Amino acid sequence: MNLEKVIFGFFIVLAMTLNYGFFLGEIDNPDHHHVYELYAAIVVSLIATVLKFGDRTQVGAVLLSTSLAADLQLIAAAILWAIMGGSMDEASLMVYIVSLSGGALMANFVSVILLISETISQRR
Amino acid sequence: MNNILFLILRRLRRPLIVIILSFAIAIVGLTLMPGVDDKGNPWHMSVFQAFYVISYTATTIGFGEIPYPYSHAQRLWLTMSIYLTVIPWFYALGKIITLLQDTALRQAMTTERFAKSVRLIQEPFYILCSYGESASVLAKALDDKGIRVVVIESMQERLTELELTDTNNVIPSLCADAKLPDTLVHAGVHHPLCSGVVTLTDNDQVNLAVAVAVKLMNPDLPVLARAEREDIAANMASFGTDHIINPYVLFGEQLAVRVHAIGTYILHEWLTDVPGDTLPPPECPPMGRWIVCGYGRFGKSVVKNLEREHMTTTIVEAMPELTGCENCIVGSGTEAKTLIEAGVHDAVGIIAGTDNDINNLSIVMTAYELNPKLFVIVRKNGRHNNALFKKFDANITMQPHDIIAHECLAHMISPLLAQFLALARNQSNAWANALVSHLVSVVGEAVPETWAVTINSKNASAVAAFIQQNRGVTLLNLTQDPANRQKYLPVVPLMLLRNNEPWLLPAESTFLNEGDQILFCGKPMAKSTQPRLLNSHKDLTYIVDGVEVPDSLIWRWLKS
Repeated sequence: MNLEKVIFGFFIVLAMTLNYGFFLGEIDNPDHHHVYELYAAIVVSLIATVLKFGDRTQVGAVLLSTSLAADLQLIAAAILWAIMGGSMDEASLMVYIVSLSGGALMANFVSVILLISETISQRR
Repeated sequence: MNNILFLILRRLRRPLIVIILSFAIAIVGLTLMPGVDDKGNPWHMSVFQAFYVISYTATTIGFGEIPYPYSHAQRLWLTMSIYLTVIPWFYALGKIITLLQDTALRQAMTTERFAKSVRLIQEPFYILCSYGESASVLAKALDDKGIRVVVIESMQERLTELELTDTNNVIPSLCADAKLPDTLVHAGVHHPLCSGVVTLTDNDQVNLAVAVAVKLMNPDLPVLARAEREDIAANMASFGTDHIINPYVLFGEQLAVRVHAIGTYILHEWLTDVPGDTLPPPECPPMGRWIVCGYGRFGKSVVKNLEREHMTTTIVEAMPELTGCENCIVGSGTEAKTLIEAGVHDAVGIIAGTDNDINNLSIVMTAYELNPKLFVIVRKNGRHNNALFKKFDANITMQPHDIIAHECLAHMISPLLAQFLALARNQSNAWANALVSHLVSVVGEAVPETWAVTINSKNASAVAAFIQQNRGVTLLNLTQDPANRQKYLPVVPLMLLRNNEPWLLPAESTFLNEGDQILFCGKPMAKSTQPRLLNSHKDLTYIVDGVEVPDSLIWRWLKS
């Protein structure tokens, strides 16, 4: 067992689960989507991205790109929330934010699948 | 560049994670701390506001308490946040700066930049695998002739010298070991426009390694290599090194040429010198008995060539058993006794050919005092003693790096020039003298430009089109001035190569064929004008027929 691998897998899976937790719930109900959950999802996603830096293999490159895709959408959601918060109908704003996080969820999902497939292919 | 980016990212992994974590903790904490707004209502900072505050706090910009004065709880948390975030921030900055100063990274970046500038070269270029004394002369001459050069050199000081010299074109240079194949690849061995590799380091083993590497990587690329030892030269020849240059052998041969054919010698020097220079009138070594001091590689070559010219030699050598010289006078030649013993009073000339500059000067000064009528040839090794040699002003100062540079130039300017010079050596002295005086009368005293022209539709479209229509173009036509056909350009055709058969000094009435290669020699102005004749149909028609062809559609219609 390798501590580095544990941390690596932990952050990638955590990024997806937090993202899923935020995404879960009625899409236009602000009570179902807490700001701290989005915050945690962004922080963990950023850490996962940095952990993927510098891996020159093909799988490493794809892992990094999925992470970048997730970061992009989560940060877009956060910016939307910060700028439009209070100036627009809360329910429709929530729809935009949650749908963006849904896109990020897909990217995180692909990332986890890649991680699993790589682990299985190592056969150890 | 890709690799470098990944190298930076990998090294920055830890500082980036430390920053993200410290920011994350500080931001969450700040949003949780209870505050009071300007109307006294309880107030919590939003995530965005907290991010803003922490961002300017961590970077030590510090805009103050925005948007409302903070409560005690918020101030307490912010105090802690300062220590939590500022330190990681500086840690990351320090890491980035260390990384930029990292020698491995900087080396990778300079190599990458060098390889990129080589890739971007759009003209034919040569690779010089050193920037020593001969290579610097060569680089300057090539640059003056408008030929691009790329330099690899393992000593940084020499490259600094290159950076300080004034050149017409940018000379990409890299401080690296030319023996490494990677370095050669970066320098453009595989580049489609690379026209050759020149390796002139004073270490034969390095030259050999470069020649082998180039011949393996790109067998069609011409390689010019310097080799002073015969076994190395033979080794180089065995795998097809195109030109092997031994400065001592070359000087010996040139000396022999000077003795029996001074005209040929002048021709050679003149055609391979840097354009624009004027040559000092060369002196012809006298016939008779010579004293040769030093019987190393240089001395051996000189003695061999002098004896071939039927001159007697007396050899003075300090270590006869080491150099394998029989019946010689033992001594260094720097003291009068040895020289008198060698018969300095009735000799016609002396050659100081040891590998020590000060000894050489001492020899010739002593000999000159004993016999002021001596013809003096002195070998110069390092360039640092330039002033001393200039002051002494020997009849001939042998400078290995000049000889090497000239020889390389003869091969690099055009393969035709090398062929012409080889043929000219077999001609009589009278022939060479006549040619030199003809050249001087046409192109003047300054060193001329030499260039080759190939008659085909790619390089001389107008001439090729004329030939295809069976309208004869003579060699004379190519020397006429496109501004006025009664006048002639200052240019002389030296050689015509047809079906691999060379004609020296072809007659001007010769009709050109497709595929002919012609070597011209002339003023720089003629070199820049001639392409008009070769490629412009209008100019060529004017020259050949004396008729101005109308260019535009309307004029052509009016004429018809």
